[in-house]
Amino acid sequence: MKKKALIVDDNGNNLTLEKDLLEVAGFEVFVAKDASSGIASARKEKPDIIIMDVRLPDMRGSEAAKILRQDKEMNGIPIVFVTASVMAEGKEEINTITNSGFLGKPINTRTFAKEVSQFIK
Amino acid sequence: MRSKKKNKELLKDQVETCAVTERKTIKQLHQEIEGSKKTERVAQGALEFAESIINTVREPLISLDQDLRVVSVSRSFYEFFKVQPEETVGQLIYDLGNKQWDIPKLRELLETILPKKTTFDNYEVEHDFTTIGRRIMLLNARQIERVMGKERIILLAIEDITERRKIEKGLEKAHKELQELAAELKRATRAKSEFLANMSHELRTPLNSINGFSEVLCDETFGPLNEKQKRYVNNILTSGRHLLLLINQILDMSKVEAGKMVLALSNLPMKNLLNEISLLVADMVSKGKIEMSLEIAEDLPDIEADDLKVREIIYNLLSNAVKFTPEGGKIGMRAKKADPNIEIVVWDTGVGIAPENMGKIFEGFFRVDTPYSRVTEGTGLGLPLSKKLVELHGGKFIVESGGLNKGTQVRFTLPVIHRKVA
Repeated sequence: MKKKALIVDDNGNNLTLEKDLLEVAGFEVFVAKDASSGIASARKEKPDIIIMDVRLPDMRGSEAAKILRQDKEMNGIPIVFVTASVMAEGKEEINTITNSGFLGKPINTRTFAKEVSQFIK
Repeated sequence: MRSKKKNKELLKDQVETCAVTERKTIKQLHQEIEGSKKTERVAQGALEFAESIINTVREPLISLDQDLRVVSVSRSFYEFFKVQPEETVGQLIYDLGNKQWDIPKLRELLETILPKKTTFDNYEVEHDFTTIGRRIMLLNARQIERVMGKERIILLAIEDITERRKIEKGLEKAHKELQELAAELKRATRAKSEFLANMSHELRTPLNSINGFSEVLCDETFGPLNEKQKRYVNNILTSGRHLLLLINQILDMSKVEAGKMVLALSNLPMKNLLNEISLLVADMVSKGKIEMSLEIAEDLPDIEADDLKVREIIYNLLSNAVKFTPEGGKIGMRAKKADPNIEIVVWDTGVGIAPENMGKIFEGFFRVDTPYSRVTEGTGLGLPLSKKLVELHGGKFIVESGGLNKGTQVRFTLPVIHRKVA
């Protein structure tokens, strides 16, 4: 059975590129353009991994992650944050989230799918 | 007869006694007169002494009797307040200069404060005089009791601090303005840094999309491209990466300039690091048909520095050397210990730098005007950024050239042990 991945990013180009790369690598991919629809999609599809932008239009990625962690059915899903700001401030936010990781922008198109797969246990 | 004679003698005695007494008295009188003359002389001398003191002092000085009438004033008083002796001495102080001196604060000092305190210093009075304009004065007052009788005399020294106040106020204002300016400058600098950080994020987001999609197309992940398509996509990718480098370097430059570049220090094995970077440019070197030589001293120590930044500096210099050296030329790198630093020299036999352009090479985006084609590569920021990064580490960065077409040599140092740069 195909692994399910959910990508939450408000940038359409990023969504398309990451979706393409993961699909080529054999994932079934769901996308969402903001945190609330992302959380709804996660609840419905129970993905094996969530790829999330740090800056989202309705809330910060870390806040969305905290909401997911409070939900019994979703608190085990690994979350990979993708962000351009390699600032310490952004990393600290992410470090407080259990079972999460971090990928810097720009993504490496040749290794992206592999890097994402490594977060799935 | 006998008694007559006796009487005569008696009279003589009396006269003699009288005369003696008289002489004594006269002598005493003389002495007394002498004494009083002396006292008078002493008094006269004291008066002259006092007057000369009063007239020497630059500050206007005024003495008043107990009815607040002017006894005498110093010469400087006449000069300062532009008044004549005949309209001053004997006048009630408030009536001076056509009643200009009827100042409520002065009345308070003379009538309320002084009777209770015999001394009062730095009493500030501000008054608008018709003759000399608005003045701020500091008054020092002394009440002196005369030895004889109950008469008192009041001494009033007047210091004009109008100019001093003006200067003080000016200084205060300038200081305040300077503080405001400094705060404004801080705000502006922060705004600039924030703007640049945001700008670089905003520019990089679409650029990452361009580069990402080009990469996927280039890799033919979703099907083959024909030769022309492949070449064009490759051009897009090359230009996109160039633009990304430029944005990153501009951001780094502004970070260094804003003092916001933070070094991530670690122990760098320099011998390995220099060899690694020379391998990165080896491809460019052979493509450019030039020779590269490395002279790395055996005893070159490890240094404490920022790994990525040091790699960036050396890569920038080596790739510059390659870019600016025509076919058949040579480039090289020498590294040695120079306690407490290490010294690295990157040299080439390339296009060199004309003396008149020496000052411009650190301005950013400066390109030496030359028909040589490969100089259009690069961002024009590598050299100035490398200099800033070396200086951030506490090192020196020197560019030398024998002139146009006589090669270039960049010599820089890095401290073995990092010391914070002020």
